Amino acid sequence: MKKNKRVLNGAIAGMALSVALSASAQAGSLTIASPQDPGSWDPIDTFLVNWASVATNIFDGLTYRGPDLELVPGLATEWEELDDGTRIRFTLREGVTFHNGEPFNADAVKFTFDRLLGDEGAQGPQRSNYTAIESVEVIDDYTVDFHLSEPDPVLLTKLAGYGAMIVPPAYLSEHGDDYFNTHPVGTGPFKVVAYNPREDVQLEAFGEHWGGAPKLDEVTYRFISEPSTAVAELQAGRVDIVIPPTIPVGMIDTINNHDGVSIVSVASPTVEAMRFNTQSGITADERVRKAMIMAVDRQAIIDAILAGEGEMIASFQGSQSFGSDPDMEPLPYDPQQARQLLDEAGVEQGATVQIDVRGNDATFGEVAQVVASYLQGVGITASIQPYETNVLLNDIIPAGRTGEMFQQKWGGWTFDFDNTAYLMYHTGERWNPYDSDAELDEMLEAQRSITDQGEREALLQAIARYTQERALEMPLYSINALYGVSDRVENFEPAPDNRMRLTDVDVAE
Amino acid sequence: MAKFLLYRILQAIFVVVAVTLIVSFAIRLTGDPAVMLAQGAGSITEADLDRIREALGLNQSFLAQYIDFLRGLMVGDFGRSFMGGTPVSDLIGRALPATLALAFASLFVSIVVSIPLGIKAAVSRGKWPDQMIRIFSLIGLSFPNFWLAIMLVLLLSITFNLLPPSGMEGFSSFIMPAATMGIILTATNVRLVRTTMLDTLRSQYIMVARAKGLSNTVVLYKHALRNCSIPLITYFGLQFGGLLGGIVVVERVFNWPGLGTLAFEAVSARDYPVLQGVITVLSLMIISINLLVDIAYGLVDPRVRKE
Repeated sequence: MKKNKRVLNGAIAGMALSVALSASAQAGSLTIASPQDPGSWDPIDTFLVNWASVATNIFDGLTYRGPDLELVPGLATEWEELDDGTRIRFTLREGVTFHNGEPFNADAVKFTFDRLLGDEGAQGPQRSNYTAIESVEVIDDYTVDFHLSEPDPVLLTKLAGYGAMIVPPAYLSEHGDDYFNTHPVGTGPFKVVAYNPREDVQLEAFGEHWGGAPKLDEVTYRFISEPSTAVAELQAGRVDIVIPPTIPVGMIDTINNHDGVSIVSVASPTVEAMRFNTQSGITADERVRKAMIMAVDRQAIIDAILAGEGEMIASFQGSQSFGSDPDMEPLPYDPQQARQLLDEAGVEQGATVQIDVRGNDATFGEVAQVVASYLQGVGITASIQPYETNVLLNDIIPAGRTGEMFQQKWGGWTFDFDNTAYLMYHTGERWNPYDSDAELDEMLEAQRSITDQGEREALLQAIARYTQERALEMPLYSINALYGVSDRVENFEPAPDNRMRLTDVDVAE
Repeated sequence: MAKFLLYRILQAIFVVVAVTLIVSFAIRLTGDPAVMLAQGAGSITEADLDRIREALGLNQSFLAQYIDFLRGLMVGDFGRSFMGGTPVSDLIGRALPATLALAFASLFVSIVVSIPLGIKAAVSRGKWPDQMIRIFSLIGLSFPNFWLAIMLVLLLSITFNLLPPSGMEGFSSFIMPAATMGIILTATNVRLVRTTMLDTLRSQYIMVARAKGLSNTVVLYKHALRNCSIPLITYFGLQFGGLLGGIVVVERVFNWPGLGTLAFEAVSARDYPVLQGVITVLSLMIISINLLVDIAYGLVDPRVRKE
């Protein structure tokens, strides 16, 4: 009602100029622009990174992983792998309560995972990540056993986020799922006090948090999808932090040149590559694929188009990824050898390839054009075919209807190469419409059941090398996550995975 | 009158069915919401996607889904958003007042500015005020509205820090979006007011009014303007319908929490129920506006009332 009245005033009042700026710059209060409203705060409902960037402040998992990407205790203080990795025993933190006062204990853990793996979880996208969990057994109030159908080497990481966030049993039973979607309750450092769908969500410090009381009193996340609008709000001092993925590379200077705000960047898990059709066309020949990679100066692309906010990659993963090998070098930029390889393969001057890209990705559009001109340099004429993103992802790639090359942007919050490699290279996977390699399949399957992390890392690195030898894609770069940050924000540490916990963040008076 | 209304209602039903049928069908050609929801979910399998599709009701045939939608529509139930399950009627209930308020404010700006300017141009036909007004109108017509919006934000929000760059937080939030839409509407409306006024001023009753010795203001605003009002009301009314469609870009730039933003995000996320709901509401509104325009004729013109 109040809103309607405001609306009416606005429409009728006409000329009188009022300059009533709402003061966002209040002590203890932080405003963040986020590009998307996930629509529901229930952990099992979505897989959006912009759910996680807010929800990491509302909920806790059994484990916790902060900006340094180290796995540390969360609601579990310690854990032990038993029975060859098919049983994990967690000791739970005592004295923790949910925002509604409900106690956290073993029953809450069991309830959370029964829900995730049961009918309710079946309707959402989260369950698939946790299918290794067969059941959760309550040993006593503060001890639980996870029984696994097979060892899952990434499970402890997956327990630090998304679907594994612990939810309050009594609250959910009393209010139901629908209510929980818009009135979430967790054990995290902030509690939700108001949620206006598609507009904002307002949080307030939860003083009793086990990790210590937050320094901020309140945090508001405003949903602003248009990058230039979010940046304008930052420049006007009404937003303190613009979180990724919002700010395009082209706006870096605009922000850095404005007083009181700057760009803070950190390497993200997102990597980009141009993948090859290894089945037909000239790219079916391994030599041609290698030649095309060597024809392109990838570092020049990073410097010129990404403003240096990226890092060259040797395989389809960033340097923080588990399975990345610091000793592995990208194929060199060498147009002469590239042309030589093309001659060997019998590819004539003026051979054509098509590169499929996401049409709404302006930065990548430029990258594709530069790649095309490098290819031109070795006598290959590339045409660029833009598609609407969903069409490319849903129809063109899985159906194997791409050109000789297609853009693939990828990155998993687990920072584990399995999440990329298995889905990209294993025979029959959705993202692998062209290739089938028995040797690679075998390696990919083997690493999934190895619990020794050193051994597993070595195998993932071997997989990365193998894909480079076969030149399954043109690895381009890993991109940095760009945060626009006001100078009044203190103790800000950019999170590579966008899950930014605000316990230590403060604002200047 | 009853026959007229019945005809209009039948027409409305037909239009809503036709529009929603086309939109529902078209959006389903362009991507799978289950895949959108599972984006980034790592090891998603076809079986997982099938589960999600079933939960969203996407495993049924298009016809079954559409009939479901129509059934819900009968009882005012638009279904639930695929993104988080919020009832679509809640989302529209929040967004509709915001869009209407902005549309009214824009139309208000354009009427308040274009009527006096149009009359001035007509009265001083061919002289410098007329020339100036026509040049400004041409400039206004040539502005793309997103460009104008961005320029206003740069100037008023960032350089001078006078107005909030986005959001809907009270009167100050209305100024830039309403001015953006208003200026562009004014450019067209000024020309319309001018031509209509010129026609009217040539009429004999205006000469009579002047001959009676009535003041210029009374002649212009009481006699001439009233006779101009039929084409103007028609035009403004239809313009309001067009405004609702054209507001999307401006809403997006100003992050206005209205139907345009809602529809834009629904398209990006392949959120079928939300998109269908917004389209239904918009088409119903445009139909109602046309009806209101017809009724308004009668109010200002006794000749129409008698027919």
